Amino acid sequence: MAAVEDRISIQLQVNGRQHQVEVAPRWTLADVLRHQIGLTGTHIGCEQGVCGACTVLLDGEPVRSCLMFAVQAQGHHVTTVEGVTPETGLSPLQESFRDHHALQCGYCTPGMLLTAQALLDRNPTADEGAVREALTGNLCRCTGYQFIVDAVLAARDQGRDE
Amino acid sequence: MAQAMRPQMMGARVSRVEDPRLLSGQARFLDDIQVPGMLEVAFVRSPHAAARIRGIHTEKAVQYPGVHAVLTHQECSVLLWERDTYKVGQPVLANGEVCYVGQPVVAIVAENRYVAEDAAELVVVEYEPVTPVLDMRESILEQPRRVHPEAENVFFHKKYATPGFDEAFAKAPHHLTASFRTNRQTAVSMEPRGTAAMVDAASGRVTVYASTQSPHRMREDISHLMEIPEHLVRVIVPEVGGGFGMKANCYPEDIVVVAAALKYKKPVKWVSDRMESLETDVHARDDIHDVEVAFDGDGKIIAIRDHLMADGGAYPAYPFSGAVGETSLASRVLTGPYDIPHLATEIHCTYSNKTPLGAYRGVWGPIASFIQEGVVDRVARHLGLDSAEVRRRNMIRPGQFPYRNAAGMVYDEGSYLQSMEEALTLIGYEGFRARQAKLREEGRYLGIGISVFVEPTAMASSEAGSVGYESCTIRIEPSGKVTAALGLGPSGQGHETTMAQIIADQLGVRFEDIVILHGDTDSAPFGGGTGGSRSGPIGGGAALVAGRQMRERLVKYAASLLEAGEEDIELGNGQAWVAGVPDRSIAIRTIAETAYTNVRKIPEGLPIGLELTARYLPKRPVTFSNGTHIAEVEVDIHTGVVEVTRYAVVNDCGTLINPTIVEGQIHGGVAQGIGSAILEALHYDEDGQLVTTSLLDYLLPESTDVPRIDVRHLETPSEGEGGIKGMGEGSLIAAPAAIVNAISDALTPFDGMVDTLPVTPPMVLQMVSGGRTR
Amino acid sequence: MKPAVFQYRKAETTREALEALGTNPGAKVLAGGQSLVPLMNFRLSRPDVLVDINGIEELTLVEKLDQTLAIGALVRHSTLSQHPLIEREVPVLAEAARHIGHWAIRNRGTIGGSAVHADPAAELPAALVALRASVVVGAPRGERTMPADEFFLGYYTTALAQDELVMRFEIPLPARRMGFSEVVRRPGDFALVGAYVEDSDAEAAVTWFGLGAMPERQVVEAWPKGQDERQALLERLAREVQSDDEYKYAMAVNVAERAYLAAQKEG
Ligand SMILES: Cc1cc2nc3c(=O)[nH]c(=O)nc-3n(C[C@H](O)[C@H](O)[C@H](O)COP(=O)(O)OP(=O)(O)OC[C@H]3O[C@@H](n4cnc5c(N)ncnc54)[C@H](O)[C@@H]3O)c2cc1C
Ligand code: FES
Ligand code: FES
Repeated sequence: MAAVEDRISIQLQVNGRQHQVEVAPRWTLADVLRHQIGLTGTHIGCEQGVCGACTVLLDGEPVRSCLMFAVQAQGHHVTTVEGVTPETGLSPLQESFRDHHALQCGYCTPGMLLTAQALLDRNPTADEGAVREALTGNLCRCTGYQFIVDAVLAARDQGRDE
Repeated sequence: MAQAMRPQMMGARVSRVEDPRLLSGQARFLDDIQVPGMLEVAFVRSPHAAARIRGIHTEKAVQYPGVHAVLTHQECSVLLWERDTYKVGQPVLANGEVCYVGQPVVAIVAENRYVAEDAAELVVVEYEPVTPVLDMRESILEQPRRVHPEAENVFFHKKYATPGFDEAFAKAPHHLTASFRTNRQTAVSMEPRGTAAMVDAASGRVTVYASTQSPHRMREDISHLMEIPEHLVRVIVPEVGGGFGMKANCYPEDIVVVAAALKYKKPVKWVSDRMESLETDVHARDDIHDVEVAFDGDGKIIAIRDHLMADGGAYPAYPFSGAVGETSLASRVLTGPYDIPHLATEIHCTYSNKTPLGAYRGVWGPIASFIQEGVVDRVARHLGLDSAEVRRRNMIRPGQFPYRNAAGMVYDEGSYLQSMEEALTLIGYEGFRARQAKLREEGRYLGIGISVFVEPTAMASSEAGSVGYESCTIRIEPSGKVTAALGLGPSGQGHETTMAQIIADQLGVRFEDIVILHGDTDSAPFGGGTGGSRSGPIGGGAALVAGRQMRERLVKYAASLLEAGEEDIELGNGQAWVAGVPDRSIAIRTIAETAYTNVRKIPEGLPIGLELTARYLPKRPVTFSNGTHIAEVEVDIHTGVVEVTRYAVVNDCGTLINPTIVEGQIHGGVAQGIGSAILEALHYDEDGQLVTTSLLDYLLPESTDVPRIDVRHLETPSEGEGGIKGMGEGSLIAAPAAIVNAISDALTPFDGMVDTLPVTPPMVLQMVSGGRTR
Repeated sequence: MKPAVFQYRKAETTREALEALGTNPGAKVLAGGQSLVPLMNFRLSRPDVLVDINGIEELTLVEKLDQTLAIGALVRHSTLSQHPLIEREVPVLAEAARHIGHWAIRNRGTIGGSAVHADPAAELPAALVALRASVVVGAPRGERTMPADEFFLGYYTTALAQDELVMRFEIPLPARRMGFSEVVRRPGDFALVGAYVEDSDAEAAVTWFGLGAMPERQVVEAWPKGQDERQALLERLAREVQSDDEYKYAMAVNVAERAYLAAQKEG
């Protein structure tokens, strides 16, 4: 019997690099990032858009990679947690997460980081209310959010001082 | 220089060594494990709560392109539980009948998950539905039928009473009755469950990657259930994205994955999706308590009678039933921090056609606290007394420790009253009443709720494992760097950091020079794993004992090599030196070199090398942490929506290893407590269909649902190693009670008292309108 | 939880999209994917062909014409919530859009998708009805326009045929001034109940969502100034809507009252 479905060849621009991958149209961006491109920092927690673990940036805007098909990402810039991590060490926001114990199991963390980074890029003066509001779409079962909020606010202040 | 004070790592706010890999997306969780040729599994699951299976047709699925194999009970007939303990054991793939929605029936092994799900849709199972058993009280009466014909619906029954209970109860001047209900909830770790298995080509052993809290337990279970000798099974636990008790079980899927890998000689993986997780991760908290309380006119509680019922679901979860855990332990801590002389309990655990009940953080604790704190508030309201004052009058006094409670549990020293007084100050209890009264006039309903909790931790037989001890192997490498291994199964608690802190202090080496291994049964010494708040006190205790033993060895070396007395040797900063003579020092690296390569110089009586394993079994079968939570809420009486506005915690878990990590645990537990109190419920409809199968229906707290939490620590050391007490569960034990008491307090003008978890907006409105018409 | 097999067609123009829809009876439009893809992941929706309209420029326009504000079907919630024209001409629409889901959802979800999905608890379909918008629909047979209240037919049901494409919405200007309010258990959730209440010189009306199977605009002569009287009227109006849940009636009165108060501030 023939294969179930055709694969198509697409170009994906992820973290500034071009990737040529063979995908089935139904493969989600999350699955292709993880299993085809090997960027497993993007996590999957619900495949329904609710949990935010799969959040990536599409042209700088946070989106759910579980609700996009990889084919749709052609022609866009995708940024994953690997893409916001410097070659050595951690980014100021990542450092702040570490300093404030903003992660426990770390499963929600990549999505949190990307949402928070996008927020600070847009709104460098975001207050606690704005931070909490922006993060409502990223569920964390471990931390109770307080240290995450603290970490984002501290990164904001650090950004201001620079 | 060498004399410098040894850095005290224990108690320090050290940043976690786990974090960089997690923050940069480099950590490896279960689904990140990919090896060439790996196949993926999808399950065909029961769409019925109860049905007989008349036929299973897999032909189309077998022929579907990309499918490697299809397994039914015929191919994999392992039974969880032999029939002796509970008379009933779940077949890992259904055998002739299904007993809950989501029960695995057929497993498809295919080239990827997409294809496996395609093929799963092609399997035809002929079901003949039967009436489901869904109501706990009816089930006790064997109505409408037996879930399992061969076993009574009540699979656990127990009665207990203190001597003289009836007389004391009858003689008391005041009595109240109340019925408390907790609805089904579940842990919902953000990373769902998962298992991967493959045969190691070199050794022929099976390697199982499992997202579990207890690596050794999992190995034992696989070995025992599948009859594979233990030494031929290796369990590796990768990064675990949350467990909360739910990942302490061995599940049917774990066994099926291993069986498939062995049978087809291919690497095989299954990762739960969210729907599977809500349907088949163990559920928790499906309990009813019919309570009667007797008390005097001062609010002193004399006796409590409780009929505890729990719906254990279709089968006992393996290797422990959550229903038994929830009820039997709740019955033993039901008097909480209060000196209540009399207790009578009766327990019924029943089967039903629902998902098996297992553990969720706190297990019995959140239920016991909900009842004990609900009882105190009812007594206070009945007598028109302040609820903090009634707590004061009943509280176990400092002079009463060790205290034996009415169920026979012995509490070690704690700071019960002090924790409450400090929490009252922290939240500003005095000022609150005025604010409450003023806002009530403006139509705003604020409430405050107190929850004083006891948290039995480090139980000798916790749900995470049958063993009461933990082991730690320490190896100082020839370079002087340290590798230590424990049998723990952390899922975010930061053991690589806390255990290294403990060992650093003992060995006098730099924190950065220690690496902690865990989760691989090949490297980790035997232990019970993580669960039941045991990793700190027992795991930490083992690390401490192993560290001390290694320290003794280092001291012997140093004394011999520096030609000094052992009592004069000090260790720190990677050096050993003679006290007061800093020049007479030797690097631990040099000692290690001696121990491994310059072996002729090893002092008499010491073995070659620097490696040892210590095991630690605490003397007490349990140590009690304690504390007080106070929640402030605002209830919108027009919509029934509750907002938790302020929150204070005073926590006492003995000697702190890392206060920041403890605070993180508390914050997380309070957030889960908010979920438990006002958001989270698993609902079954009248046909036994679970209707909350996504995170749009099962509501977890979001960032805006959790207020700032003000935390203070008290430290009443345990009698165990390091004075450490456990603390993983206390915050979730205490929080729901604090929040619902606050809701009850807010609704005082309407006479309402919450008796159900979680409290939903319609319930609040009902309490409001019920009170109005009265 | 993985979608079933489908074929993917990317449409660059509305013509291409209509062609693809017309030639494949099993085809479906893919807009923001924030409702369709979850359904596909659950395999509750299994289109043979997905027609991706995300590249069609003309569907993203927001334009002020003579008497109307035209909003393309592909305008995303995040654009709705901060577009200067919308902020100025129809502020209530911007406000409603801010209440939809979470940031990442709003970055993808579109007004067209929300309308066609027709979730009874969604903010935008009710807004379109309350604002007396028209829906412009493209079909192989040509365009047709219908009032929003004829577009929504019931739970997740609209008057759209399988081969049709929603092109844009036209909101008559000056837009009716109204207040908005909703009750949610957590921010970002679908509303338990929500309401738009209009109290202008022209008309007084209420449009609920989350109450009945679809949004319905109920017109009254005027809102009584007394709160008790007003709430009694709201209660009567709410009871005219068929709901499955007694709790929702109490809620409906409440949110409408709040929306009414908001409308007073709108001036
Ligand atoms: C976690 C989460 C929370 C959410 N919360 C809310 C909320 O609070 N309130 C709310 O209103 N919504 C909410 N949504 C849904 C969201 O608003 C969706 O974006 C919206 O319902 C659908 O828009 P879409 O562009 O994503 O459409 P799609 O998902 O792409 O499509 C939806 C349907 O419309 C059809 N369709 C789309 N565009 C057209 C068109 N132009 N012509 C013809 N047919 C078309 C599709 O074929 C499909 O049948 C939530 C979604 C998620 C995942
Ligand atoms: S996996 Fe995408 S939002 Fe949860
Ligand atoms: S750290 Fe575990 S889910 Fe956020």
